[in-house]
Amino acid sequence: MAPPFLAARGLSKSFGPNEVLKGIEFEVHAGRNVALCGENGAGKSTLIKLLTGLYSPTAGQVEFEGEKAGWSDPRQSLAAGIAVVHQEFSVLGALSIAENIYLGAEPRTRLGLIDRKALARNAQALLDDLGITLPPNDLVETLSVADKQMVEIAKALRAEAKVLILDEPTAVLSQNETRHLFRIINDLRERGMGLVYVSHRLDEIFEICTDITVIKDGVVTSKGPTEEYTHDSVIAAMVGRELGDLFPPKASDPLAGEQVLQVRDLVVAPGLPPASFSVHAGEILGLAGLVGSGRTELALALFGAAPATGDVTLDGEPMPFRDPVGCIDAGMLMLTESRKDDGLFMNSSVARNFAATTPGYGVHHSAIPPGHEERRAAVLKERRGVVVDHVGLPISALSGGNQQKVLVARLLENRPKLLILDEPTRGVDVGAKAEIYKTLRMLADEGMALLVISSELIEIVGLCDRVFVMRDGALAKELTGEEITEEAIITVAAAETSTHHGVAA
Amino acid sequence: MSTLVRATRAQPVHLVVLALIAIVFFVGITSSDRFATPLNIANVQDQMVALAIVALAQTIVILSGGIDLSFAGLLSFLAVVFAALAGDTAGTLLIAMAIVIALGIGIGAFNGAITAYIGVHPLITTLGTSTILAGCALLITRQPSGSVPLFFEDFTYGRLGILPYGMIAVIVLYLFVGFMLWRTTFGTRIYAIGDNEAAAAMSGLPVQRTKVAIYALSGLLCAVAAMYMTGRFGVGDPRAGVGFDLRSITPVIVGGTLLAGGKGGVLGTALAVILLALLANVLNFMNVSSFYQWIAEGLIIIAAVSFFAGRKGKS
Repeated sequence: MAPPFLAARGLSKSFGPNEVLKGIEFEVHAGRNVALCGENGAGKSTLIKLLTGLYSPTAGQVEFEGEKAGWSDPRQSLAAGIAVVHQEFSVLGALSIAENIYLGAEPRTRLGLIDRKALARNAQALLDDLGITLPPNDLVETLSVADKQMVEIAKALRAEAKVLILDEPTAVLSQNETRHLFRIINDLRERGMGLVYVSHRLDEIFEICTDITVIKDGVVTSKGPTEEYTHDSVIAAMVGRELGDLFPPKASDPLAGEQVLQVRDLVVAPGLPPASFSVHAGEILGLAGLVGSGRTELALALFGAAPATGDVTLDGEPMPFRDPVGCIDAGMLMLTESRKDDGLFMNSSVARNFAATTPGYGVHHSAIPPGHEERRAAVLKERRGVVVDHVGLPISALSGGNQQKVLVARLLENRPKLLILDEPTRGVDVGAKAEIYKTLRMLADEGMALLVISSELIEIVGLCDRVFVMRDGALAKELTGEEITEEAIITVAAAETSTHHGVAA
Repeated sequence: MSTLVRATRAQPVHLVVLALIAIVFFVGITSSDRFATPLNIANVQDQMVALAIVALAQTIVILSGGIDLSFAGLLSFLAVVFAALAGDTAGTLLIAMAIVIALGIGIGAFNGAITAYIGVHPLITTLGTSTILAGCALLITRQPSGSVPLFFEDFTYGRLGILPYGMIAVIVLYLFVGFMLWRTTFGTRIYAIGDNEAAAAMSGLPVQRTKVAIYALSGLLCAVAAMYMTGRFGVGDPRAGVGFDLRSITPVIVGGTLLAGGKGGVLGTALAVILLALLANVLNFMNVSSFYQWIAEGLIIIAAVSFFAGRKGKS
């Protein structure tokens, strides 16, 4: 048997003391489509970054056609024949489809000029070959997301890639677009390309993948041909572990408190079914679902940061959802998904970050009283357990866990009635996670209503009293008590869309 | 979309600028008999040559997502050097030209290298270069000094029919750069880097080398503009470039090139240069103070950018 196109041999990767991948064995042969399965944080993206040379391994090696590949740069792996279609596409909107496909390898005339005719002709041939009907001279910025993805795939084909890695390619596609993509993927595989298919959607994996490799907590827990698997056995390999004592005990009667937030017929985007639900005082309500299922959009709409229609009341008061300032004043606060992008002021001190949105400062443009920041920051150490030598240090000097604690502490200074947390423990180590879970449960016990969005199933299962599973922008199912299991959530979240459309919980 | 439209990267904003040119032209005709004379039309063209060349340089840099603020110091420095070396024979003139062009390319490449390899923002790099060169120019001479051969001075005033030679040079340069943007890999790279530098790098493009070439080309065009200006003045003015840094940006933006890069082209810049020169000329005929001309120019900049912002919101 020929050596695999691409393989990982005993591949390990550590970031400081944190070992993310341990002794990974993984291979992609010609004409195979290998599904890479695992929960968020299992190590899939780290593995892809190692395979393409973006990271270098701590131990073990990447092999290309049986030889050690010493790539130190994704450009080298690309030149060798490894193409990746990322979730964020790397196509250039200002260039035409043909220019994108042939970027860096433009056909030239004898004078060394770009041969525009050959460029359009070759691009057209490539697109025809893939069964894509797009005019090669159109600018990429005018294309739909699905078409941009097709341009990426055409680009990989032009580069004569031997291995094509697709990272959650259907997360942004409609049903029809997904069907079209699958035809192309199968076609490429039959032509002898090796594919790596990263997805959460089990139905898709069983439909188009020839092999399955499951990663959990940085270790390959199971691998083999797809025929040897069932949905249940894949899920078992992905999630099978003890919850341990990471999570504090749940509320005994989560619905006992009064309804703090009432949402009726909330429509986030035209065409989506209206969502109605409530959050009670003292409960932690979870919003689960795949990336792109509409969780964050729903939360942003509640918080007034995205346009929406419907009736939302907080403690009986109608919320106009006009802007976040109004929501903060009314007692609804939100921890955003990415603390670096829209949470922290990375160049400012811990103290300033903490004081930035506390009452009487920042939001309402009043002057900062002398010593205010320092006094506020003292609260951090005493009440919230943030480990910091000096509050004047830049926040970037803190660990992810401590940064997150500063953010949570800042939100609590506003004494919220409802706290929305989008991915509260992303990029945070296990110890800090446990502390954050403890804090959240304590707040609920004190009578706060919490709405938690998370891609980590274990977090949803371990922390939440009640869960809504979202799919395609709709609340697909409500789970309570013993019903909240990782299997139940995956089954709903990854189900074929058409059969369950519009089912309200 | 016809090939020509795509090649020139024509946009709706071009029609707006064309319409404005027509309006200004009409106002000019009605306000003075002397406006539509060959003498005045040639005069307007003479007024726009230097700005047209530096605006062309700025267009290339801005398309790549950068900015070049070195023109003020660079033009002054090169003008002084040129006038000091040009002498009064064809031989000395050619040597001076070669030196000035080499200096322009070298200083531009320096700007590009500092920006690309050290990662200093081009705003800072080129502002620094400009300040250094402005100082150098004044160290060489406090007063306008030096000279150019008389036949070169005459050449910068010569014309073919109603087309001054300087204008012919501008047309050739615009066609050359336009063609370069359209038909060379260098041109494609300029758009790619301006659109998304990270994606360009991931696609295997030599981003840093291309940036050096972009700023070097900008310096080269600046050298051409400096020689033309020195020919017109007949002397090397150590303050020849003052104001050209910001003035070079105006036609680029009014012509529809995105300040963030990746989108636009030379056609818009050309039209905007014509509009601004005609406007100044017509306001002169109407005896409007040049301070009002500044106000008009400022309003046009803001209107042009708002036009884009509005369109962006709708789509």
